[in-house]
Amino acid sequence: MIQVQAFLPELWLVGTAFLVLIADLVQKSTATKTLVKAIAVIGVIGALLSLFCVAGCGSCPVNACCPMDGVPQAFGGFLKTDGLAVFFKFIILMATLLTLLISFRYFKANPTHYLTEFIAVLLFSAAGASALTSAQEIITLYVALETLTISSYLLASFMKKDKESNEAGMKYLLLGAFSSALLLFGFSYLYGFTGTTVISEIGKSLASQASSPLLTLAVIMIIAGLAFKISLAPFHMWTPDVYEGAPTPITAYLSVASKTAGFAAFVRLFWVGLSVPALQPTWIGLFAVLAVLSIILGNLEALPQRNIKRLMAYSSIAQAGYISTGFLVGGQLGLTAVLFYIFVYLFANMGVFLAIAIVQAKTGSDQIEDYAGMWKRSPLIGIVLLVGLLSLAGVPPFAGFAGKWYLFGSAISKGYIWIALIGMVFSVVSLYYYLQVARQALFPEPKDSSPIEMNWVERLVLIICVLITITLGFWPTPVMQLAQSAASSLFN
Amino acid sequence: MFSVLAAILVPFAVSFGLFHSVVQGPNFLPILSTFIIAPIISALLVMIAPEKYARWISLVVASFVLGLGFKLFLNYQASVSGFQFVEDVPWLKNLGISYILGVDGMSTLMVLLVTCVYFAGALISWNISLRRKEYFVLFSLLVGGVAGAYESLDLFFFFLFYEFAVLPMYLLVGIWGTGRKEYAAMKLTVYLLAGSAFMLVGFLAIYFTSNVHTFDIRALSDLSATGLSVSFQNTWFPLLFVGFGVISALFPFHTWSPDGYGSAPTAASMLHAGVLKSLGGYSIIRVALPLMPDGAKHWLPYLAILALINMLYAAIVALKQTDFKYVIAYSSVSHCGTILFGICTLEAAGLNGAVIQTFSHGIVAAMTFALVGTVYGKAHTRELAKLGGLTSVMPILGGLFVAASMANVGLPGLSGFVGEFLVFLGSYQSGFHGGFTIFQALFPIGVLAIVLTAIYYLRLAQMVFFGPVKDPHWKEEVKDGSFVEILPIAFLLIVSLAVGLYPKPFVDMSNLSIAPLIDHIGGFK
Repeated sequence: MIQVQAFLPELWLVGTAFLVLIADLVQKSTATKTLVKAIAVIGVIGALLSLFCVAGCGSCPVNACCPMDGVPQAFGGFLKTDGLAVFFKFIILMATLLTLLISFRYFKANPTHYLTEFIAVLLFSAAGASALTSAQEIITLYVALETLTISSYLLASFMKKDKESNEAGMKYLLLGAFSSALLLFGFSYLYGFTGTTVISEIGKSLASQASSPLLTLAVIMIIAGLAFKISLAPFHMWTPDVYEGAPTPITAYLSVASKTAGFAAFVRLFWVGLSVPALQPTWIGLFAVLAVLSIILGNLEALPQRNIKRLMAYSSIAQAGYISTGFLVGGQLGLTAVLFYIFVYLFANMGVFLAIAIVQAKTGSDQIEDYAGMWKRSPLIGIVLLVGLLSLAGVPPFAGFAGKWYLFGSAISKGYIWIALIGMVFSVVSLYYYLQVARQALFPEPKDSSPIEMNWVERLVLIICVLITITLGFWPTPVMQLAQSAASSLFN
Repeated sequence: MFSVLAAILVPFAVSFGLFHSVVQGPNFLPILSTFIIAPIISALLVMIAPEKYARWISLVVASFVLGLGFKLFLNYQASVSGFQFVEDVPWLKNLGISYILGVDGMSTLMVLLVTCVYFAGALISWNISLRRKEYFVLFSLLVGGVAGAYESLDLFFFFLFYEFAVLPMYLLVGIWGTGRKEYAAMKLTVYLLAGSAFMLVGFLAIYFTSNVHTFDIRALSDLSATGLSVSFQNTWFPLLFVGFGVISALFPFHTWSPDGYGSAPTAASMLHAGVLKSLGGYSIIRVALPLMPDGAKHWLPYLAILALINMLYAAIVALKQTDFKYVIAYSSVSHCGTILFGICTLEAAGLNGAVIQTFSHGIVAAMTFALVGTVYGKAHTRELAKLGGLTSVMPILGGLFVAASMANVGLPGLSGFVGEFLVFLGSYQSGFHGGFTIFQALFPIGVLAIVLTAIYYLRLAQMVFFGPVKDPHWKEEVKDGSFVEILPIAFLLIVSLAVGLYPKPFVDMSNLSIAPLIDHIGGFK
């Protein structure tokens, strides 16, 4: 039986994408495309609201078709939207919504004829990411992942007259295709060993098997393929170039939505499918190495950056390292930490990228030195940069601190004290480059003191991002509880 | 002048008088939270109000908090001792984090210190003109953070409030500082947060290793319940000590301090030297010693050597400085060495000395930095070679500086003497137990630092304030300190005098925390 709730948000997104394409035919090509924009925003908000229907499934009186256990599923259980999936979907949809907002500002400053196509591809990509979070089977997972990444290649190279954007798209495509191939290769071994593609069945089948070199090889290939998507070192080489060259909204999108989807795939594959005694020590060890490498390399390479998008690229590598710490600890504690941190990361990172887009639209530059005196040109942007970046650095009283406390706490609880120590020490290193941006924005007098304009929606969103980042620092309990119940849904 | 006095006395009287009935009892006013919330409210008000009211709002709130600080000091019940005015609100239950505030004798003293320096700092910032609104916002937030750190009985909130205080400091130094301010701001922040990284990992390790699964310091202090093994303590005590030590400019992690203070605006260096820096020594007594007594006994004799180097090395460096403010900054580092040395003795006298020295150093360092800032504002240079003969143009400030120097040197009758005397008494006594003589061997070297302190302060007073007037323009242009400049310095001097002339209530207060702690640890016996 197919329960529509299992893929309700994806339906919204795909439907909106088609509506957007149709609306474009109605509107004149010279118009500002307000209709297209409105449909896109309403569609994503609708998808977000539909999450309530999915999450409330079982207790909702309208949905008679809901299953008794409250977890809607479809296609013979290949899609199953449990609490964990809902949490991940919320992050991805929220990131998509904010990406839309950033792209409106970006394309105002960098006009294009193809705004509609951009929005449609973005929505398709979000649908892929969203479906990925509820995939219970490796082929479904792979297809969803490819929907996400192939759309991302397009989006990264969207400014087709811009050399850097083209370079970004090409690099992303070549390396991405390679990593996808690796992933698929790993999957095929997995199928060969177990004779099934359903993740939970794979887990059951592997539990009775001894470890073998080929199986280890499969695990290594899967890790390599997916680590590329979330840019864990040493599979991070593409990140800075792509992040720098891609249009700013896409940089923001890749750094949050794409990463979240990657982590969702990791959590399901490894904590459900490969969580067997024969394999677990191997991949946990590998992850520990990847996490520590990412934390060290990401933070160190961010230090000399002068371009803010490149800086955010390295920062996102380091952030992926921190999140992996919680992932490899696993269990209720570790996964709660991962979910909470991603939630915090979403608002801090998106706020900063919105600010970057607004500044870039005005000054035409992404160089950090051009942020000089931002406090005078727009106090709000100064505050957003300070709060958002310091939250990423994990400085109290901002939300990133509570997140890191939880992440490293979970690591220490399982005895990974050395990872926590390295993470903390390199958080201090990260403070240096985050503060370099804040320093430029807050200390000097501006060279050009013309104010930076933004509309009321952007102002509102920036304020919300700042408020959430501050509030969660003092009062993380509600989101923590949500993350907890989401994490526990994996173990039921 | 009268409006300033009114802005001070009225709120002071209100908080001191009005709260009389509601301070104690089962449904008492959450007085400890007020110390955190009042500065934050002040920051919010400054943000909203027009710029010209910024300093008035800050002063009114600071005076209000000062009244409350005295109230707390007088209302702490010595006969009951232990933690009082406790507020306990669960925060993250499954992680064992609660918002717990409470004060014992030692932290009551520290809260009083915070309020005194807050008040003096608000006054000394009276003539700030650059981005005044933001200045007072950050200044108030800084105080809220420091006050929270001294009152917290939960490791999570202790850490949160501490770092809450570091951040405004970064901006205060970076924007309103002088000289190489951006370099200094960055150095200070990175050092302090690197120290706190060790603290954080240490806290988490304690939480996950102990059997009680809470961040509540009171519960964690019960060693039989936590079951922290001796080897665990031996591993983690030095890490925590160094983490806390960085805050107190422990050698060799002290270099942020002179640069930071050299560049910071006056009120920021007052608050940092006066209260934020003292947090290091305080938290060793509050957290590291009671939680890991065996580790302490194992490591403190060695760590004492670092503290000693602090005292001596910083004093020698201070001798050679050519910048007025750097001398004071190194002197502050040297005094922090005394505090840490007192802690290392693990003697009642030594620890009490450390607490009193913390209080005294807070008051005296704030006073000295206020003086340097005021003189710099008038003479427009801090280079010792260009200064000289200032007593003839600013006699009151000159007189106050000599008094402040004497307090730094430890002249009997001023607060510095009491603390230093107790510290060295403690280190001398420490030698009598079981033939352990390292402190007996060390303390004469420490006393040497006091001699050096006398030398460089006298040299400083002589170079800056006495001799011929270096710049003839000063005679016409430079005036003595105005009322708002003299008032905070005089106020701090009076506090220092009070401690120096009648130290008994202060030492008794400190001993209410120290005596049970010594019982708990047992010393080097």
